Parts: sequence; C-alpha cells; structure tokens
Amino acid sequence: MNRTVLIVGSAITLALVAILFVGLGKDPQAIDSPLVGRQAPPFTLKAVGNGQDIDLQALRGKPIVVNFWATWCGPCYQEHPVLVQNAREIGPQVQFLGVVFNDTAGNIQSFLQQHGSAYPTLLDDEGKTAIAYGVGGVPETFFIDRKGTIVAKFVGPLSDDTLQANVAKVLQ
Amino acid sequence: MITFLLLALLQVKVPDPSQFVGPPKGAPVAGAALEQRTYEIASLLRCPVCQGMSVADSPSTVAQDMKAQVHDLLARGYTQEQILGYFEHSYGQFVLLKPKFRGVNTLVWILPIFVLVVGAVVVIGTARRLEKEPAEQPEAQAAASDDPYLARVRELMEKQ
Repeated sequence: MNRTVLIVGSAITLALVAILFVGLGKDPQAIDSPLVGRQAPPFTLKAVGNGQDIDLQALRGKPIVVNFWATWCGPCYQEHPVLVQNAREIGPQVQFLGVVFNDTAGNIQSFLQQHGSAYPTLLDDEGKTAIAYGVGGVPETFFIDRKGTIVAKFVGPLSDDTLQANVAKVLQ
Repeated sequence: MITFLLLALLQVKVPDPSQFVGPPKGAPVAGAALEQRTYEIASLLRCPVCQGMSVADSPSTVAQDMKAQVHDLLARGYTQEQILGYFEHSYGQFVLLKPKFRGVNTLVWILPIFVLVVGAVVVIGTARRLEKEPAEQPEAQAAASDDPYLARVRELMEKQ
C-alpha cells in the first residue's frame, strides 16, 4: 500500500512540476495567434498626413510588415527607430505599414515629425482592424508573405534581430 | 465639408466579420435589448489586456472597442454564436471566458469528475478495508498466543 501511494504520489507531483516548469518558462504576454498560417484580414485605411487610401489587398505579391502601435505606448517609442531604419535599409523589397489605434491623427503626426517616418502610417479609428487581427496590447507586428498569408506575429517591441529574423521568413 | 468627410470615411474599409463567420443569421437587435445583449455577450469575452476580467467589466480601451464591436454586430443581426466565433477567429479560444468542450479543453470538464470518482472509489475501498481489519485482529492475537515463545515472554513480563 505504502509503495503504491509513493509511486502514485510521485507521478502526480512530477506531472505538476512538469506543468509548472513548462508554464513558468513561457512569456505570459506571448499569446499564440490563430491567424498565423491564415490569410491576413483585408483592410483599406487612410494614411495619416496625406490621406491616401492604403488597401492591403492591392499590395499582394509583396511581403508586408504590419505594425500596430500608438503614441501612448511606451515600448512603441523604443521600437520605432528600429522599424524606420530597417524599412529604409530593406527598401522596396518589403512594404512596411504602421497601423495606429485608440489615437488621434494630430498625436500621430507630431510623433512622426519628431521621431521620423519611412512608411505609411494608417489610422484605425474604431480599432476594428486591430480586433480583426486579434491585437491586445501594442506594439504587435504581423509578417505577411507574398500570397497574403500571415507567417508570423511578434508581441512587444522589435529589436533589429527579431525584426530581421521575421522579415527573412516572409522573404522566403 | 461634411460631404467630403463622409466620402473620405466611405473609402475606409475595415475587415468585415462576414468574411469569417458568414452573413448575419439572426434578427437585428435594437433599443434596451441591444444594450442588455451587448453586456451579456461582452461578459463571455476575456479582455486581452486584463487579468481574468471580462470585456463587459473592463475599462480598458481595447475592451471598450471590443464591446462596441459586439454592439455593432448585434445591431446588424449577428447571433451570439457568430459574434463569439468572430472574436475566437482573431484571438483564439483564449478570448472565451468559458472554454469550449473541445480538444484539450475537454479535460477541464472531465478531469474534476474523474478525480471525484477516483476519490470516491478510494474512500469507499479504504472504509471497507478498515471495517474488515478489527475482525481480523482477535484471530491474529489468538494465533500469536499459540506461539510458545511469545507466551513465555508474556509470562516473564507479567512476573516483572
């Protein structure tokens, strides 16, 4: 009896420790997106500044990086120079798009004037595009391949390494 | 100016839920019922930036946007199943406060019942065994008293 209790108890304890080990090792902010591997939800949004309509579907055939951000988001200040610099370096091979939600055109324009810009920034007025992409907290970035399929999603501020590693996936 | 703004807004096209969950299957809801249904459905959705809080109760802007989307979809005639399906399509099952009886989630429903049944079997088994044990004890004592060495030890102990 004591041996059985010991074996069953050890098995249950080991299983619980394994679950905790796996769970605690994960980033609680990293939520797997069900959209990875699916077609990117289409949208047409207005670019801040020139008012130009940007249609995601019209860009099909080119890898796209869609970065959701806002001027009230601290980490977005950190990743903005990374995005701008990489967009300039990578050039026309990849289309970068910024999508701002829960924000105003005025705030965005002054942010871009202060911190620079290298690609269109679109205003998602009611946050419906962000919802369609399952965006929780900004910044979140989606990497879309030439066929319009979401290949990767990155939650949090991008560094040169994380951005370039994900861009490499959509260039394949 | 107003005409210009309206034209400008018309050109903006956000992803439409019909692309993911089909056209509305219910009747459009309006008035007080719309507010009530919005709250009920928003209560079933998890706020993605909060700790275990529903969209209905969260003051965060993301939750407010999601609640507004629920309101809009109900007004257009989408059913509760379609609305929850739409949010699940974007955010995954994480967004549903009540997990579905599907896949690994099945364990959430089955495991407590399984543990309860196993626990009941163990408790009943142990109780039955304990009931039998006192009956066996006198026999064991009787058998022990037949042992001459043990009887001698008892005799010596009693003398002391």
